[in-house]
Amino acid sequence: MELLAQGIVSGILVGGLYALMSIGISLSWGALKIINLAHFSFILLSAYIVYQLTVSFEVDPLLMVLVVAPLFFMLGVLVQMFFHLAKVDEFKSLIVTFGLFIIFQSVMQTIWSADFRRIGPVLNPYETQSFFVAGIAFQLPQLVAFVVALLIAGGMWLTFTRTYFGKAVRAVAQDPEMARAFGIDSRRVAVILSGLSTAFSALAGVFIAIGQTMFPQLAVAWFGIVFPIVILGGLGNSLGTLTAGVIIGVAAGVSSVLWGPLSAPLVTFTILIVALLFRPEGLITKRSIA
Amino acid sequence: MRPRRSWTYLTLITALALVIAACGGDEGGGTTTLGTGTTVASSTTQGGTETTAATETTAASGEPIRVGSTLALTGFLAATAAIHKVTGEVFVDRINAAGGLLGRPVEWVLLDDESTPDLAAAAYERLITEDEVDLILGPYGTGNITAAMAVAQRYGYAFPHHTASLTYAYTYECQFSSWSTGLHPNITNPNLLYDALESTGTPPETIGFVVNEFPGTMFISYGQPDTDEGGAVAEAEKRGWEVVLDVTFPTATSDWGPLAAQVRDADPDFLYIAGLGVDAPNLVTAMQAIDYSPDGMFVQWPAPGPVLATEGADGMMSVTIFEEHPPFTDDPEAVEVAGMIDAALTEAGVPYAKVETQAAASWTAWEYLQQAAEGAGSLDQQAMCDWLVENGAQTLFHGDIEFFPEEQNYFEDLSKIKQVQDGEWYTVYPEEFAAPDRSVEFSPGG
Repeated sequence: MELLAQGIVSGILVGGLYALMSIGISLSWGALKIINLAHFSFILLSAYIVYQLTVSFEVDPLLMVLVVAPLFFMLGVLVQMFFHLAKVDEFKSLIVTFGLFIIFQSVMQTIWSADFRRIGPVLNPYETQSFFVAGIAFQLPQLVAFVVALLIAGGMWLTFTRTYFGKAVRAVAQDPEMARAFGIDSRRVAVILSGLSTAFSALAGVFIAIGQTMFPQLAVAWFGIVFPIVILGGLGNSLGTLTAGVIIGVAAGVSSVLWGPLSAPLVTFTILIVALLFRPEGLITKRSIA
Repeated sequence: MRPRRSWTYLTLITALALVIAACGGDEGGGTTTLGTGTTVASSTTQGGTETTAATETTAASGEPIRVGSTLALTGFLAATAAIHKVTGEVFVDRINAAGGLLGRPVEWVLLDDESTPDLAAAAYERLITEDEVDLILGPYGTGNITAAMAVAQRYGYAFPHHTASLTYAYTYECQFSSWSTGLHPNITNPNLLYDALESTGTPPETIGFVVNEFPGTMFISYGQPDTDEGGAVAEAEKRGWEVVLDVTFPTATSDWGPLAAQVRDADPDFLYIAGLGVDAPNLVTAMQAIDYSPDGMFVQWPAPGPVLATEGADGMMSVTIFEEHPPFTDDPEAVEVAGMIDAALTEAGVPYAKVETQAAASWTAWEYLQQAAEGAGSLDQQAMCDWLVENGAQTLFHGDIEFFPEEQNYFEDLSKIKQVQDGEWYTVYPEEFAAPDRSVEFSPGG
């Protein structure tokens, strides 16, 4: 029973990290109609930068949030400006951002080599820190990632439903031309949203750097986790993405402890296919901006 | 209209995610069948990236002898393949400085197989038929080696290669593995470990297995498919040890928490991690996070550097064929060559810049090639093959080797057991190969 409980708790917490990795793509796809495959590279690039700064300056890796978040916000702004210039639409974005993904992967391999990189325990005390409730471990990095994902998902939901900027985003998502006709600077809205999406990927990168061993191909493994979550959660729906992350995390965690880790991908993609069949618009559509 | 567009994109993305997930995360390599992100631009079948090692020496003269091979310069296997690239470059430099091969300079034509078996096969086809190289050497990674070996066999090339793990599958009479695991590493490797544990006088009573679904680790753990030979699990049972956990995990595992919880729940005296790359550091970290650590652990084929950087990995065991300490370094030439490779690895930015299994196996494969050509006195492939079978090879890191055709040209398992002690890897078993003042450390409940 304790094993099952541990599987559920781990699944919920890791689901938060998955959601953090997915929210940026969901917003970009839902609101900007950009299927940003480069997002995966941004997460890993952020992780490598956190790694490099941490080992070079012997600083707390969590503090690197203050560096990578604004840095990647700017990167997102630049990328979106490029998309405007190149007139990238939804379908072209698949090809263009896949190209960007390859370029960023190559750059990372050139800089950090193909070898494995890991922040050692002296500089990174967080990776093995946990607290226990009734014998169930709550891993600190995953818990913090979950809280951050919760804050971002909730914050974005409030932004989209309660603020003028949120209304502008929804208007741009639904009909950019009409939004422009009503005086909304759709390019500015898109640039800010792209910056935010990329900054969220940077936050995910911080937790990847803290909790995992990095190598350039690591990002490829995330495709099979993030896309089911984005689709299941509903495009542009931050709360839906968090919910989907938790569902996928718990399903994978529970199936791992019950039937072995080999069953986890099977369960994940079964959930995705069932969702595509019965709710292709996502689990939660009421607050979706797409 | 809108829902139909969304459906199209969703279906497209799902297909993409399924395909990438299917090939993703295979850091141990060998089973992927699709090129990946970083490598598309350098497809070897379309011109490929090509590097040529230094060839000019004062003593060697004439047309260079061209040695063709691929390595996973990009893709999942690139981290380890970088070691083979550096080692090969050092070997070529050294042989050219010493007068070349058969009096001619050696040129290494190296292509990127992108960690992908079908590209490796295509590249070897190109090397043999278009580039018309004189000799070939195996690539890195079980899947790539297996694919390239079929091409070598088709054209009758002698095929020295390094770390391929599916020994039973290599029946080509001119294949020569330089990884001294023997033909039955599924039996010999685990028993070497189990002997080491029993040498402490306090062997485990219970053992747990976590097995990467990579074909090589499955073979080590369970034996050759469709036979009853067995592997590490069955051998442990033969010793009367209770197997309290036997679970297989995917190569692309990203959440290690559930697996760590399963290990804690089973609580074995000794944990056998039939994994590779960074499987062990990831699992150990996840176990540490739930405040659990087995009394002893073994990992089959780890990336050595990350293990040392992992909290809780002290005492971890593995297999090795060479470590940079006595008695391996009793030979001054081994020390000299290891020093050259170390320096080149450092210059190449490889974090763990020491000669161990990968570099040693790589060097040995080059030695096979050199000695076969020199022994045969020509570049005739069959003559080289015959010469190696008849004469064996004298190697720097393995000593004298005799190939047994009845054992598919394999020789005995020369593996040793190494262990992380005081933050470094040391060979600890067999005793005659142990580093000075080092021995196996294991005590259940201790």
